[in-house]
Amino acid sequence: MKDLLRPGRMWRTGLPLKKRYDVVIIGGGVQGLATAYYLAKNHGITDVAVLEKSYIGSGGSGRNTAIVRSNYRTPEGASFYQASLDLYDDLSAELDFNIMLTKRGVLSLAHSERALATATERASVNQKLGIDSRVIGLDEVRRRVPALNTSRDVTWPILGALIHPGGAILRHDAVVWGYARGADRRGVEIHPFTEVTGLDTSGDRVTKIRTPRGDIEAGTVLSATAGWSSGICKMVGLRLPMKTYVLQAFVTEPIRPLLVETVVSTQMRLYVHQTTRGELVAGAEAEPYPTYQGRSTLTFIESISRYLVELFPAIRDVSILRTWSGLCDVTPDYSPIIDRTPLANFIVSAGWGTYGFKAAPIVGVTLSKLIATNQVDPLIKPFGLHRFTDDRFISEAASAAMSH
Amino acid sequence: MRLPRRDGETIDRDDRRTFTFDGKEVQAYAGDTIGSALYANGQRIFTRSFKYHRPRGLSCAAGNCAGCLMEVDGEPSVKACTRTVQGGEVVRSQTISGSLERDPMRVVDHVAGPVTPVGFYYRLGIRPKAAWPHIERMLRRMTGLGRVGEAPPKPHRADVEHRTAGVLVIGAGRSGQEAAARYAAEGRQVILVDERAEYASLAIDGVEVIAPGTALGVYEGRLVPVHADGLMHRIRAEKIVVATGSIDQPLLFEGNDLPGVMTPSAVRRLVGLWSIRPGTRAVVLAADEAGDEAARLLREAGTQVVETIDLRGVRPPKVKAAARHGLLAAVEIDGRKIDCDLLVASAGRQPAYSLLAQSGCSVRFDAEKGIFAPDQLVDGVEAAGSVTGEGAAVLAAAEGAGKRTFVCPCEDVTAKDLVRAVGEGFEDIEIAKRYTTVTMGPCQGRLCHLHSVRALARATGVGEAALGTTTARPPWQPTPLGDVGGRKLNPGKRTALHDANRRAGAQYVWTGVWRRPDHYGDAAAEIKAVHEGVGLMDVSTLGKLYVSGPDAEAFLDGVFPNRISTLKVDRVRYGIFNTDSGRIIDDGTIIRVGERDFLVTTSSGGVDQVYEAFLLWVAERKLAVDVVNVSGALSAVSLSGPKAREVLSRVTDVDVANEAFKFLDVRQGAVAGASALLMRIGFLGELGYEIHFPSTAAEHVWEALMKAGAEFGILPLGVEALKALRLEKGHIIVGIDTDSETTMLECGMGPMIAWDKGEFVGNEALGRMNERGADRALVGFTADDLPNEGTAVLVGGEVGGRVTSARRSAVSGQVIGLAYVPAAIGSEGSAFELDLGEGRRGGAKVHIGAFYDPDGERMRG
Amino acid sequence: MSFLIPCPHCGNRPQPEFAYGGNIGDDPPGSMLDVLSEDLYFNDNTAGEQFERWFHRFGCERWIVIRRDTRTNQVSEGWEGVDAP
Ligand SMILES: Cc1cc2nc3c(=O)[nH]c(=O)nc-3n(C[C@H](O)[C@H](O)[C@H](O)COP(=O)(O)OP(=O)(O)OC[C@H]3O[C@@H](n4cnc5c(N)ncnc54)[C@H](O)[C@@H]3O)c2cc1C
Ligand code: FES
Ligand SMILES: [Zn+2]
Repeated sequence: MKDLLRPGRMWRTGLPLKKRYDVVIIGGGVQGLATAYYLAKNHGITDVAVLEKSYIGSGGSGRNTAIVRSNYRTPEGASFYQASLDLYDDLSAELDFNIMLTKRGVLSLAHSERALATATERASVNQKLGIDSRVIGLDEVRRRVPALNTSRDVTWPILGALIHPGGAILRHDAVVWGYARGADRRGVEIHPFTEVTGLDTSGDRVTKIRTPRGDIEAGTVLSATAGWSSGICKMVGLRLPMKTYVLQAFVTEPIRPLLVETVVSTQMRLYVHQTTRGELVAGAEAEPYPTYQGRSTLTFIESISRYLVELFPAIRDVSILRTWSGLCDVTPDYSPIIDRTPLANFIVSAGWGTYGFKAAPIVGVTLSKLIATNQVDPLIKPFGLHRFTDDRFISEAASAAMSH
Repeated sequence: MRLPRRDGETIDRDDRRTFTFDGKEVQAYAGDTIGSALYANGQRIFTRSFKYHRPRGLSCAAGNCAGCLMEVDGEPSVKACTRTVQGGEVVRSQTISGSLERDPMRVVDHVAGPVTPVGFYYRLGIRPKAAWPHIERMLRRMTGLGRVGEAPPKPHRADVEHRTAGVLVIGAGRSGQEAAARYAAEGRQVILVDERAEYASLAIDGVEVIAPGTALGVYEGRLVPVHADGLMHRIRAEKIVVATGSIDQPLLFEGNDLPGVMTPSAVRRLVGLWSIRPGTRAVVLAADEAGDEAARLLREAGTQVVETIDLRGVRPPKVKAAARHGLLAAVEIDGRKIDCDLLVASAGRQPAYSLLAQSGCSVRFDAEKGIFAPDQLVDGVEAAGSVTGEGAAVLAAAEGAGKRTFVCPCEDVTAKDLVRAVGEGFEDIEIAKRYTTVTMGPCQGRLCHLHSVRALARATGVGEAALGTTTARPPWQPTPLGDVGGRKLNPGKRTALHDANRRAGAQYVWTGVWRRPDHYGDAAAEIKAVHEGVGLMDVSTLGKLYVSGPDAEAFLDGVFPNRISTLKVDRVRYGIFNTDSGRIIDDGTIIRVGERDFLVTTSSGGVDQVYEAFLLWVAERKLAVDVVNVSGALSAVSLSGPKAREVLSRVTDVDVANEAFKFLDVRQGAVAGASALLMRIGFLGELGYEIHFPSTAAEHVWEALMKAGAEFGILPLGVEALKALRLEKGHIIVGIDTDSETTMLECGMGPMIAWDKGEFVGNEALGRMNERGADRALVGFTADDLPNEGTAVLVGGEVGGRVTSARRSAVSGQVIGLAYVPAAIGSEGSAFELDLGEGRRGGAKVHIGAFYDPDGERMRG
Repeated sequence: MSFLIPCPHCGNRPQPEFAYGGNIGDDPPGSMLDVLSEDLYFNDNTAGEQFERWFHRFGCERWIVIRRDTRTNQVSEGWEGVDAP
């Protein structure tokens, strides 16, 4: 109760920048911070600096819609994200910070036989891995989400759904802050408003990290810059198999409880859930052209609003309060890239697209292991760059393009 | 209390209206808003606050705060002070769990203030883990403002109008009017919008006025949606003039959120527009001329103005408002207590620059005036009037960080909360905003943004200029989903035979954007008709591209992996279209109708992509080829079954004898008098013809064929029959049996590829994959149980693929299908398992080649 | 609706009328993986000005080239054809 009423400082502020660190992490999003946390906690590596060009969580990590699920299509994807969910399950206690995770389930509607087939495939793959995920009929859809218009007299009648009871939503900022606090308490330095403006190389190593606050050296450099990853890689002459897109979302005024599950409709290109505060949070797929410009578009709120009202006629008069957008780093197969590079001390984690928030804990654990021990965890092995030379994709297009 | 008739009032005293509020009837005049009528009837508590359930009332009367949110005709969270009374509305209070006056949840305010500091929830309910889901459920039940779904929403207009404007002026105050008149005089086409109803009667020469109409945002390309009572004007403007003025900023003091505390502009509107006496005893504290004006109006209205303090240039007094029964009862100024029921308070005015910022304009802090003001405007956007910062200023004073000093009344965030957040390390405005939720409520930061930045600046010692602002985001006013979305609009494409199909009893399904007949009542009978008699299918949805020119042959050799140059005139060949990285996009047929002329068909959904890729290839290589999309101009049917030849012979002049019109031959001739292109292909496994003809003749040709086939029991075929029949032949359907990664190599189509012909789309990628060999194979299978499509293939207990198509064969009675399996077991007879769900597994065996008539005798005969 | 694209055939038209067709002129591939792999799957993902192709789907049905700054979506010019001017 004491801590409740008199919380101390979350983290140190105004730290001076040292000349050298064992590990420098570029990007103070959830992934960079989680990696820093587990470096300190699991491997005792605390001479770590997280360099963030703005405030922590200013990238995708503070803009996502916080859906956490593991009902992916490929066995590689599903087991990876499930491992992350397992960590999320105990994360509030682990960080001693309530991330407000609530397992209300994710319900992906099928409006066509094709969609039912995809749902069946995902359920099959998921169940094999012990993930709770199954196809349900219209009756159960109705029972779970009474507000849905399940009449046949609509453009795309609902035939059934994939239900994933373990799917959750949470308070994204809390995860970012919880990891930041945990890392800070273990000695990691977090430097907001410290942009990396250049990387010098010599031979096969990154030798210098340039920032307006001074140059730094590091044993290992990790780029955890999501949508900005191509720019960081360009500094060392590398390119990535990804493009940066903008994904938008909006939130309505708070209303009394209406939805339990997150409801996804790939046909209508939207998803929606209701926060604990009562707001409806809705989103769609990314805009169809690459861009770094984060202004919202009118077409987006128009089409989502139209479809939302079609799905839930009762919310016709509920008002949109705020729209926002964030950058997303999308790979050709909608799976991430976590790998070493031709530069011996430069590691990249990118390609998190519209789905990387849920991966943060497992990325933190496996990436810190890679940095500390040079061992590639079996969970991230499939997500290496080799899949592009092998033309062997881990295709999550069918399960990740729409439901993040 | 309503005053005697005054000059300039906007109410029409001869036009009485009524509505109900929480069940009681309320009298109003035309021109009243729900809020003004309620106030005139003595209502003071309008709603209760989000977190602490504190009573709140009319504080700005201009749609800038959240003090008057109510449910109107089922619409939640309406700003009552700006919703014009029509008469007959059913208005209910919200955010209460009792009555407005006696909300039992108000105890939250008394006890919870100190124990629910900002960030409280992050520290609560962590252990034991099992408790949190219950707490979360309880929190959910406590929060949320509006109710939905209790009353059926009233029918509503929701339309969109696409407009252009030479000049769009936003804001009809003095400067907005001036700008509008000036541009109109220059001959520009001018639209002037304002969210206030009182401008509805404004008339300026050559200016179209939309009022009340709210400009919701400024989007890229100077697109401004203006929301006017269910009608959304999407205005694309050559020039935008933002004249949104400035907004009264609240004064920060203990109890500043009490009903009875209001801004000078609220007084101006209450008295000026609606002729209402705002209170009986008033104290006025203001930092600009608005205070004097309010005092004058109050006196005119018969309110006793006990004291007026101009806060400019004086030592900021210590102010504390005290309440009785939830309403303002007195104010203490530097320890001096003054009884009053009205406290007009303002710290000055802050430019309403949000729309400018959305347009890309930068914003800077003007330390002298204490405000944020627009700085660098962008092309095509102007600012006029006090939105520029001209004449606006806000007092620095903002005394006190008390526990009931609300910086952000919408979210119940106090000055103390902000100081506390800074103490915890949330030193930046964006991160502090996320932690405290300050500025995130329905006022969109109008009243709290400046104060919260300044509070942070004080607490951190970092200047406002360095802290900056939060990002301005649309919409400027909360707007109902239904109004933003407009009318339901889900266009479905229909073929020229849609009506003929409907008459024949078609049951439709969506296939992509098309409405297609799934079946005509009995799919099994349709399948049988094809095997034993004849069936007719509308395949007009096929994409059809006419490719012609000297380089047509070379072009097709470049875009398809097989060799097209060897295709003879009047012959047809199957083709696959790939991506550069060797994945299948689409399939179709290439029909050679002349040396330099081809018709390429694509799948129903693939035509746009293929068309665009064709045009790109042509343009990149500067080929002498024309590609014309004739998909809509031509309709097509496929006539299949052993009796197809006979039926066709009755309506065509083409010699259809087997020797004269062989399998994969193409003919041109008349069908039922219409000029047609006929080809013999066998997608459905029986003798078959695909016939293309002008869409104008579609119904005529269809009816003629149906009539000719009548004696053979001809049936129309739907998509279900097509899926079943082609499965018997092991033919794939792109999009059902393929996914974004499927290659020809996986589908056993490797031998089709003409590796030696040089460059073609996907050749490098396919070449590399071919060398290495595919991992998986798409194969036919037979099984004991019918699996759902999508069912996992298990090999050695592990997931090794999936079923893409499965049916019970009408011919053999066996379960047949297509599935991805590991390439290693991709040979005839290999056994694998199917995961049938709930732990059940079924056996399956690989089958290579067609299930039905593997040698193709029936389609060739 | 988003930014406007200056179609040399149709004039300034809203972006949703067009289909994006990729950018022109990436850096030479091959410092991360082999040339073919990078050529197939990698890109510059430029934050800044680039030449790109768009197809005017709901318009003239022609490919055009524009120069767009991906940081601002500012389109400076549009050209006929598919090659960078
Ligand atoms: C609208 C939206 C909805 C989403 N919904 C979901 C969802 O429901 N579930 C889900 O799992 N995922 C979702 N995502 C995706 C998710 O947000 C991201 O994948 C995830 O946050 C990535 O985390 P990150 O730490 O890798 O990157 P980020 O949080 O983007 O962090 C990268 C950081 O790098 C910093 N940076 C960049 N360049 C530099 C530099 N030169 N120097 C220093 N710092 C730099 C940036 O400022 C940024 O803070 C959504 C994304 C968006 C935009
Ligand atoms: S009083 Fe209605 S919004 Fe302020
Ligand atoms: Zn055009």
